[in-house]
Amino acid sequence: MIIVRHAKDGDMKYVSHKDTLRVLQRALKRAKIDVAYSQGFVPHMLTYTTTPLPLGVASNAEYFAVECKGVDEKSFLQAFTAAVPHGLRGDWSVEVAKNPNLAYIVIASRYFISAEGDLERVKEILSSQEYVIQVTKKGETVSKDVRKLIYDLEVVEGGIVAILATGNDNLRVDCFVDSLNERYGLGICRDDVTRVEQLVQGKDGLISVKEFLS
Amino acid sequence: MPDMDKPCKHRTCLCFSDKYEVGMSNIGVRILYHMLNDMEGFICERSFAPDLDMAQELRRRGQRLFSIETKRDIVDFDLIGFSVQFELQYTNIPYMFELAGIPLYAKDRPEDFPPVVAGGPCAVNPMPFAPFFDAVLIGDGEITFKQINELHLKCKEQGLSKSEFLRLATEIDGVYVPSIGNRTKRAVVQDLDEAYFPTSILVPNCDIVHDRSTIELFRGCANGCRFCQACFFYRPIRERKPDTLVRYATQLMDNTGYDELSLCSLSTSDYSHLKEIVDGIKEQADARKVKLALPSLRLDSFEAEIYEETSGSSLTFAPEAGTQRLRNVINKNIGEQDIYNSIKGAMEHGVKNVKLYFMIGLPTETDEDLQGIVDIVYLVKDLHRRYGKSKLINIIVSTAVFIPKPLTPFQWERQISVEEMKHKQDFLKEKLRIKNVKYSWHGAESSVIEALLARGDETLAPVIEEAYEQGAVFDSWSEHFHYEYWLKAIEKCNIDVEEFVGEQSEDKDFCWDIVDNGVTKAYLLAERHKSRQGVTTPNCIGKCNGCGASKLGRCFR
Repeated sequence: MIIVRHAKDGDMKYVSHKDTLRVLQRALKRAKIDVAYSQGFVPHMLTYTTTPLPLGVASNAEYFAVECKGVDEKSFLQAFTAAVPHGLRGDWSVEVAKNPNLAYIVIASRYFISAEGDLERVKEILSSQEYVIQVTKKGETVSKDVRKLIYDLEVVEGGIVAILATGNDNLRVDCFVDSLNERYGLGICRDDVTRVEQLVQGKDGLISVKEFLS
Repeated sequence: MPDMDKPCKHRTCLCFSDKYEVGMSNIGVRILYHMLNDMEGFICERSFAPDLDMAQELRRRGQRLFSIETKRDIVDFDLIGFSVQFELQYTNIPYMFELAGIPLYAKDRPEDFPPVVAGGPCAVNPMPFAPFFDAVLIGDGEITFKQINELHLKCKEQGLSKSEFLRLATEIDGVYVPSIGNRTKRAVVQDLDEAYFPTSILVPNCDIVHDRSTIELFRGCANGCRFCQACFFYRPIRERKPDTLVRYATQLMDNTGYDELSLCSLSTSDYSHLKEIVDGIKEQADARKVKLALPSLRLDSFEAEIYEETSGSSLTFAPEAGTQRLRNVINKNIGEQDIYNSIKGAMEHGVKNVKLYFMIGLPTETDEDLQGIVDIVYLVKDLHRRYGKSKLINIIVSTAVFIPKPLTPFQWERQISVEEMKHKQDFLKEKLRIKNVKYSWHGAESSVIEALLARGDETLAPVIEEAYEQGAVFDSWSEHFHYEYWLKAIEKCNIDVEEFVGEQSEDKDFCWDIVDNGVTKAYLLAERHKSRQGVTTPNCIGKCNGCGASKLGRCFR
């Protein structure tokens, strides 16, 4: 299995998760990569992704795992990047013996949220006991305390760096941004957000998937 | 994506009068777009009818409709092309013109405004929309679209005016210039095998209506069903060679990564080397895990072997009419035995879903013919019980309302009234209340408008304009169709609908007669008379029936 890290930016950030998956699979075919198929009645490509990005959010670190043979990680990366639209270009790849089940082990993402204004106030969230936001679930808007899903917030030049839960316990970055806008009067848009890295549990805290697999 | 930065002397925007998902599925647009971009010095970009929310946003920002590739305003192109595919898209012309900032009528556009030309299947009778355009391209776009672009570049370089350009354009076969009112001859590619066909195509990032690669086996149709416009509009019959097609198929699979390839034509089972190319392509397709799709397989030549190899567990049949008598009237040359054998064969191959397509409101139709539709449904159920390999069978029956279209033997026929349509639909609704059978039907009112626009003349242009003013847009999407907008427009413009959708006198000069389509009026009329006697005309693969199309180019070369 080869895992490639790729971007999702430019126009491609407006392409849904499902459509992106189809774009990636077609690219594998164009790149003539010998991908394994499931053995079911309707065979499908054995490819794996992690938690979907909300539409409009960019990423520097999407991971796409492909069960394939006859190709090493270097030539895979080259063929992959040549075949995908520019917004999905790959920048790193690794061959692994066993499927690490990234969707399961990724527990957080680091986001860069481009924003202006008095951002220091946002850090008060970290010292409060709860942080209740409105989330829409199956068409219904409910209040939910997501304080435990916010791992870190940092104010940097030009915006905020946030580490939010991803995966089974998930805090959608777009819902989080909406709550910031409401509470602090910020005018952040979904497309001001970039997923910078996806994180897994390391020995001494969270480490990036790349570090984990290297 | 074609190179948008290459040296460019002439830039064209190809607009499509429906949404992206529909337009990107259109093989004609695909051919013309890539053809022009492959020509030295020319660039072609695209624009589609934006959805209503996008249109609202454009208006709010005071922004004009633009091209997808370089986001240029449409009005800033050298030439603007419009592909018009369907009568119920006509209100999208004023819609897109307004968003783009193009004055609706050609006569109201200044001399220095880029020429706006139309093309597509609706050009068979361009009159209802002709006043909106500077020129209409009729026939194979590989010729007309190429020549009009080349001519316009030449005129631009020589500093000629738009009216001089249009005058010169009338010398091209298949170009009709409304302001001049010239007669013209439909443009025909003489050797389809040599014609341009794109194999390195755009692959959309989102799901489109026909999300697959397509090769066109041949153009035209030998069957001569009397209601079918495409059959006569695309004649003479011209095939591509088998090895050309296999080459195209392989290149498309490699270049696109699509997991489905469609072998397309008006009647795929009539392709003379079908078995040969299916075998040839299948090997390549299997190796790439690509599924083959063969649409338009006809009932009478249902080839179980090919079918089994390429298809899943559903089968689509279009007997069009319920009884043999009516099938003879419309010249759908399939007999009861053919239907029986095909369905039996399908059942033996374990087909689970059967889709049946019929038309209602055909000339001479009675309730007995509708009962024939019901009988076919019972036949499917019976054959499934006796021979079926699958446990369950689902049958979907769809009926469309017959539209008497120009350039068919039925161009003189009347269209049935809305009341008659409703009666027929109610009859079937009642009789098709059968377990595992679903009946769906097309709107009656929209069929009236479709017939009106299909046979209308230039007095319909203000009706289209007025209907749009009333709110009509995207009429082909049933959720957007509002009959009352059209009724108001028709009333305001003082149009007698019956004049166009009623029976036409046989010595009438039709407004679409200005185009020489090869197929003669005398032939169409003779076919009409034969239909009334229930006499069929055999398909013309073996022997020419003398329809006249071969005057424009040889059949079967």
